[in-house]
Amino acid sequence: MPRFLALLLALLVAGPAFAQSSAQSVVQTDNVRAELLSDIAAAKPGEPFWVGLRQTMRPKWHTYWKNPGESGLPTEIAWALPEGVTAGPIVWPVPHVFDIGGVINYGFKDDILLLVRITPPANLAGDTLKLTADANWLVCEDVCIPEEAKLELVLPLAAAATPSDPKTRALFEAARRNVPMESPWPARYGVSQSGDPTLIVEAKGLKPDTIGNAYFFPAEWGHVAAMAKQTASITAEGIRIPLRKGDAKTPMPAALAGTLVLTEKTADGTVKQAFDVAAKLDPTFVLQAMTLAAVGSEQLTLVQALLFALLGGLILNLMPCVFPVLAMKAAAFARLAGHERREMRRDGLAYTAGVLVSFGAMAAVVVAIRASVGDVTWGFQFQSPVFSLLIAYLFFVVGLNLSGVFEFGNRLAGVGQGLAARGGTTGSFFTGVLAVIVATPCTAPFMAAALGFALSQPAPATVAVLLAMGLGLALPYLALSMTPALQRLMPRPGPWMDRLRQFLAFPMYASAVWMIWVLTQQTGSDGVLYALGGMILIAFAIWLLRIGSGSSPAIWLRRGVAAAAVLLAFAAALKIDDSPATAASASGTPVSGVNFDGWERFSRARMTEAHAAGKPVFVDFTAAWCITCLVNERVALETAATKKAFEQAGVVKLKGDWTNRDAEITAVLKELGRAGVPLYLFWAPEANQPKILPQVLTEATILSELSSIQPAKR
Amino acid sequence: MSKFSVPRRSLMLGGAALALAPAAAFATSSPDVGKPAPLFTAVDSNGKSWSLADLKGKVVVIETTNHDCPYVRKHYNATNMQDQQREAAAKGVVWLTTASNAAGEQGAVTPAQANELTKNRDAAPAAVLIDPQSKIARAYGATVTPHMYIIDAKGTLVYKGGIDSIPSSNVADIPKAKQYVRVALDEVLAGKQVAEASTQAYGCTMKYPRTST
Repeated sequence: MPRFLALLLALLVAGPAFAQSSAQSVVQTDNVRAELLSDIAAAKPGEPFWVGLRQTMRPKWHTYWKNPGESGLPTEIAWALPEGVTAGPIVWPVPHVFDIGGVINYGFKDDILLLVRITPPANLAGDTLKLTADANWLVCEDVCIPEEAKLELVLPLAAAATPSDPKTRALFEAARRNVPMESPWPARYGVSQSGDPTLIVEAKGLKPDTIGNAYFFPAEWGHVAAMAKQTASITAEGIRIPLRKGDAKTPMPAALAGTLVLTEKTADGTVKQAFDVAAKLDPTFVLQAMTLAAVGSEQLTLVQALLFALLGGLILNLMPCVFPVLAMKAAAFARLAGHERREMRRDGLAYTAGVLVSFGAMAAVVVAIRASVGDVTWGFQFQSPVFSLLIAYLFFVVGLNLSGVFEFGNRLAGVGQGLAARGGTTGSFFTGVLAVIVATPCTAPFMAAALGFALSQPAPATVAVLLAMGLGLALPYLALSMTPALQRLMPRPGPWMDRLRQFLAFPMYASAVWMIWVLTQQTGSDGVLYALGGMILIAFAIWLLRIGSGSSPAIWLRRGVAAAAVLLAFAAALKIDDSPATAASASGTPVSGVNFDGWERFSRARMTEAHAAGKPVFVDFTAAWCITCLVNERVALETAATKKAFEQAGVVKLKGDWTNRDAEITAVLKELGRAGVPLYLFWAPEANQPKILPQVLTEATILSELSSIQPAKR
Repeated sequence: MSKFSVPRRSLMLGGAALALAPAAAFATSSPDVGKPAPLFTAVDSNGKSWSLADLKGKVVVIETTNHDCPYVRKHYNATNMQDQQREAAAKGVVWLTTASNAAGEQGAVTPAQANELTKNRDAAPAAVLIDPQSKIARAYGATVTPHMYIIDAKGTLVYKGGIDSIPSSNVADIPKAKQYVRVALDEVLAGKQVAEASTQAYGCTMKYPRTST
């Protein structure tokens, strides 16, 4: 009875629709208004065109994607077509996740257009083309109802295809925009021992803070379970999505297909982008994943999480960056050997405190960021070129000290390291701080992932996990200082200590070299110049201050020059910060992938000049890490039709690469009230100001802009 | 930071850290075939108590049901479900139909209604279990009605999935479809490995209690 009422209601609502459209092309079922549409008004034999099955659902009801998830069935269309006419498969729009009381479904709600490509043969005879579709679908709210509709669409045949009315064309345009595009990145997947696959989409160079969400919809039932949530992370390798194995018993496929949906935060809000991914099975990836298999598939309790954090902290001691600091600490310890046990214990505790306070501070930052920004899902950026440079300097200065170039106590040593060198408890405390600071850049990917987890927890758990990690880092030294049995294994103090100290300078220099290499990856080869130049300046300053004890004005002069040299060295950091995008491309890394084919590099001068010359100008502000920019290029800016239209209209195409925050572009963005890319400007020849195009572009948008100026030009 | 290649060791570390991220908890988590079938105790429409542990030594079929679901109706209207229930009973198999949709939802029945349905549909299960809290469905990770399970004499889950191979509500498809449960039951009774032990189930979404999600 209620269903009958619903039907009655639906009929009443749909009444006007019936009156408007031909009854054959529209069918109203209990829960869905189905309509067969075409993007052409008349078909030309031999020329393919698109039709669409439009489903307008009752509020809260949904139909299903090609992989419906844990229940449900996809919509099917069986075509009855004249001889020779062919229909392609349904081109599915981007699905949504529905959680129906814990059962996960993939599907559509409200209003959806399922596209199908129809190809009439060139020799098609007659005046009309009749398309008959037998569509059936399952539509569910709480209850599920299979429905079907026989739909018919009759198109006149003509010598030339004519487009359908603008409203229908707009529907198709929107539907096409809602279809996932081929993934621009290669993808692979590995399988852990427990059978759970992990997907890696090699989208390198993405910025974790701009990606709001990532979800992988497996294309088929069986190998990947439909999940409510996926804990994706952005790492140096790209987007990493741990998945859960599905119920199929067949071996994992050579290629795992699906749709990756990313939410990107742009200056104007969030944009959803979808890509069809075919991830290749990567057997080598299995080995790496195996170590985590046991825990990866289980739900961790906080206690377990703390244990793993502790273990992670312990392993941090093996990181190349931390090693020299520990070596320093070992030397200090050897010097302490033979001292009172109480003193050693205090020393160990102070070091531990230093480490814990640093991790505590980091936890506070994480919690504060979450509190202020709200929806931070990823670990924040540790990788800044300035940070790398400063750490390289720090390693260098510590190295010089170990080599005996100068002694601590001088005021010129870096603050943290100077404090670290202080004797006794304070010194040990700051050695702990130093260990955390230097461990950070080495372990950025690790820390980002750990923080990613920490961020998903309530604040007390976040703090607890990070502190556990810190405790792990401090543990070996703490254990040493607390256990006399272990201490007895340490050699007696003697001249070997000096030699050890001098030897330890070399791992420090090596670490500095490594940091400079990291820097060049971030900034290009110019980074080497600034970093090494800065090091010479620092060494020069140290030398100046070391020259004997002359008269007072001479000392002050030297101090002044030394200070200037150090300042200059640090100025290099600023220079590196706003080094132009070209630096990155010059380093030859394939990743900074802004493509300039057919485009001129943007400069304000070139833009002004071209506009003054009466030419139409199109400006594309983009960045390698901007996914929306990339998608716009593929679907709107670099299509054959757009390229041709650009050429015919004589448009000057300028591209601004904001991958590394170019100052000139930043200024332009600011003037236009924008915080970031994508931004598209179009200068019509006589216009006083550029038109700002929407940040989500379509071919139609560009073509209509261009067509508006064509008459003026001719 | 582009090509910032990470030492292998730290990759592993990254992995270890990822392992910290707990897999999201699922309302439905399905047991694997080849593993012991989850035990349950439930009362049937005649007030009799059934415990899976007591059925050791017998092959058991579990069928989730919702009599208003078009896919359930498909197999009852065509007497496909009843036929298979009778075949199973003749071979000594215990066929348990479980009405596991949450109380108040479509498909939830009182014992009297369940008996009425059995009579009207001329069904022949060993029992219809009344499971208004969806305990059995949850234990087996059922997502649809009908969702089918076979448990062998040792208490091992040997089949889970659909009743047959053509996911439609069309009765005419039944003769064309591969009847997964019938085939699997024959294999189990012949002491053979079930060839297709896990298939895609189709039907209406299970209605779990709302408070539990």
